[in-house]
Amino acid sequence: MRSTLKTERQRPSRWVAGAALLLIAGLILGWVIAHFPTAPIGPRYVGAGHETPRSGGTLIFSAGSNIHTLDPHFAYDTLSTAACRLLYDGLLDYDYDGNMIPGLAAELPAVSSAGRVFRFRLRNGIKFHNGREITAEDISWSLHRLLSKAIGSPGYPFYKSIVGAPAYHKGEAERIDGIVVLDDKTIEFRLDEADQTFLNALAMPFAYPLAKEHVQKLEETEGRDAVGRHPVGAGPFAFTRWERGVQVELERFRDYWAPRAGPDRMIFLENISSDVASARFRNGDLDIIHRPSKVNRLFLRASDAWAPYRAEAPSASVFALGLNCELPPFDNLHVRRAVAFAIDRSKLERLDPGQVIAAGQVLPPMLAPYDPELPSRQEFDLDRAKEEMRLAGYPDGLSEPITLWVRGEAEVRVAQLFQQDLKAIGIEIDLKMVSFATYLKETGRPRVAQAAFTGWHQDFPDPSNFMDILFHSRSIHPENSENRSFYRNSDLDAILDRARPEVDREARLALYAEANAILAEEAPWAFLYYPVDMFAWQPYVKGFRPHPVWLNEYRNVWLDLPKKRVSQAIYQEQGAP
Amino acid sequence: MMRFIAQRAIWGVLVIMSVVTLVFFLIFVAGDPAVTILGPQARAEQIADFKAKKGLDRPVPEQFLSYLGVVPCIRKDSPKYERDDGSRGFCGILQGDLGESYSHHESVANVIGYRLPRTLLLASLAVLFELVIGLTAGVIAAMRRNRWSDTAIMFATFVGISLPTYVTGPIALLIFAFLLGWFPFGGYGVDAMDHIYHALLPALILAIAGAATYARVMRGELIETLRHDHVRTAKAKGMPMSQVVIKHAIRNALLPIVTLIGLSLPFLVGGAIITEKIFAWPGLGLLTIESIESLDAPVIMAVVLMFGIAVQAGNLLADIAVAALDPRIRLS
Repeated sequence: MRSTLKTERQRPSRWVAGAALLLIAGLILGWVIAHFPTAPIGPRYVGAGHETPRSGGTLIFSAGSNIHTLDPHFAYDTLSTAACRLLYDGLLDYDYDGNMIPGLAAELPAVSSAGRVFRFRLRNGIKFHNGREITAEDISWSLHRLLSKAIGSPGYPFYKSIVGAPAYHKGEAERIDGIVVLDDKTIEFRLDEADQTFLNALAMPFAYPLAKEHVQKLEETEGRDAVGRHPVGAGPFAFTRWERGVQVELERFRDYWAPRAGPDRMIFLENISSDVASARFRNGDLDIIHRPSKVNRLFLRASDAWAPYRAEAPSASVFALGLNCELPPFDNLHVRRAVAFAIDRSKLERLDPGQVIAAGQVLPPMLAPYDPELPSRQEFDLDRAKEEMRLAGYPDGLSEPITLWVRGEAEVRVAQLFQQDLKAIGIEIDLKMVSFATYLKETGRPRVAQAAFTGWHQDFPDPSNFMDILFHSRSIHPENSENRSFYRNSDLDAILDRARPEVDREARLALYAEANAILAEEAPWAFLYYPVDMFAWQPYVKGFRPHPVWLNEYRNVWLDLPKKRVSQAIYQEQGAP
Repeated sequence: MMRFIAQRAIWGVLVIMSVVTLVFFLIFVAGDPAVTILGPQARAEQIADFKAKKGLDRPVPEQFLSYLGVVPCIRKDSPKYERDDGSRGFCGILQGDLGESYSHHESVANVIGYRLPRTLLLASLAVLFELVIGLTAGVIAAMRRNRWSDTAIMFATFVGISLPTYVTGPIALLIFAFLLGWFPFGGYGVDAMDHIYHALLPALILAIAGAATYARVMRGELIETLRHDHVRTAKAKGMPMSQVVIKHAIRNALLPIVTLIGLSLPFLVGGAIITEKIFAWPGLGLLTIESIESLDAPVIMAVVLMFGIAVQAGNLLADIAVAALDPRIRLS
């Protein structure tokens, strides 16, 4: 009885209470929205205005996944290589134009025996972080460690042209005969056959010398993997601390052979996704950002306030549709050419402005002998595509659809763009989405994938690194072929085999130009695009430029301290994008 | 009781064994670890070298038995590959050797050892939040049944259960870290207090669904318990309501919650994958994703082993705890 009365009494008041609650919630929400802080429009901090480089401060930058090791002999991923690049130094390096320059070596090597022998002289006063002077013996010892059977480094194939390296790698020889230490400051490399790319190999982080006594002590006490946790190199920055999966901390090496002003410390953050990194960057918590998230990339691109502090640079990669030259219909040159002409690459540039450049040849724009006016370059031309289909004997198109292998959502979206283009010449595309693992395994086998979304990023800046590995018939194997379009052309093979050892740079580039033209013409790949990377840095970060080889080159950066906080209001007038 | 625990433990080991076997062979169905680890730029020669070094060129059953530690070691880079007398050593899980990570170039024990404490910190904070928030809300809702506060709490729990962490996580980051600046913007921090500060926001996000579930279960159980005779007796004796609830009702209502906590232990470790990714929390979740993407078999196996143990241990603990709390339940 009592409870019935209570509910009856309550009923109207419950409605009132509900309405009041809603009203209050709405008012609070309105107040919060009206007073909510907004995201910064321009940089939060600017520099003090110094013109000449000065030392001091901490440079903070980040990456999206884990750094795997700080041992350059194992480092075969972008992040580990980037970290090793600060900790270690090698005989050779590249300048901002991609030219080879001496590093630990006093000058570029003396070449003799028709390009089979390279003699290096070391600089004076080059030291490891433990203070010991580097000798030719250290260079030799490090390469022996790199190529040893026990280490099993993925770097081995780049150095196997050294006399005796294969035998040593198999454990059949005590030493590599082709590495000869002449005196403390002189070292000579003898190759089985002339190979100009050996110098590129020496400039790779694999060949960076380690301090022998340090490595041996660590390997004895803590095991081989400990070297990757406690690195001692000769680079401009020395190791302080590594909180695994969180950050690597470095400090400026005061005895570096090329002393320059720079940050006292560097912090390389790991596992920061591009969204988080972008927000931290705009907040002023991150000094340099590489590949911001899409929203933030478009924001930075459109913002006047950020304009002086960002750069876009193509990375040395190319993406393409790989066409299997052993399987019909792509065993027919004209069908391949038809595909190459049918694709409207400008769609991609419109879809994702500033993210890609249309590609019509295998070499990326920054790598000689890239030729923007290459007569045989691939480009969109529907009439020629239809003409090629006619020449191929398919004037009405193919009766069967083509299966195109793709590795994920992003590639599906790109492939879908081209489905319409290819339909216009009568080629239907079925997309087959597979995991990265399956893709790698299956596309490396002959006669499996008819067509596959594919690409390549340079290991080192030399045309052979694109052409030899991707299109030479030597790169075809029953499993794990590097030549995944299974393209065989004895003329191309001959040109590539002549170009690789050629000592004369001009003659060499001429040969690669010829090969470049053949590849565009024969279309084992229908080239799609070169990816473009965005970099942005805070106004107080000076001396940063994207590097054509290393991308993130932090070695020349200095901080214009003290940084000053600025009011966001000054950007309001310029208009927020 | 001991017999029950022993039985459950044997079953648990069998289940873990089957899962380990299944996953081991699944990895090889998914692709070739050597090819995947070295990536699209790899030369055939590098792949062959890698396979020889890690014993991936041997038949898969032999690899499995060697991984278990039943047949001799096939990983040539293992210090146990060759004994001092020249005979072959063993390097499987029976010998306590989880192997060496393919991509991290160091022992799996190390790779996991760095990350496990971080995941445990996040998970235990999340459990704490779930219990404190969930149980408090549940008790309030039950005590004020059918009033507006009850309705509001039940509505909130409904929303909480429905919202996945990949929605709440980024929103929380945007509001509390980016715009308001109350919490750090993801990451792990540098010292103990800093780690906890960094863990607060992800732990809260991780706790939303659990807290909502606990609140609903607690409310239901408490309402049920409040009708019981012993509660009515206590009330009739003139005990204040708050005393009745705390002393007599909550203890009974806690039983299903205890089971839920036990069952949620592995879920917290596993469910943290998405949250860790969003908040850049460098724990096991991030490691798991990365290892699966790159087919880093030794790490995947070790993580599976650990999750398996967490599931079994969680279940067992829940059963024991319920038995301890409720004298009516006899385990046999």
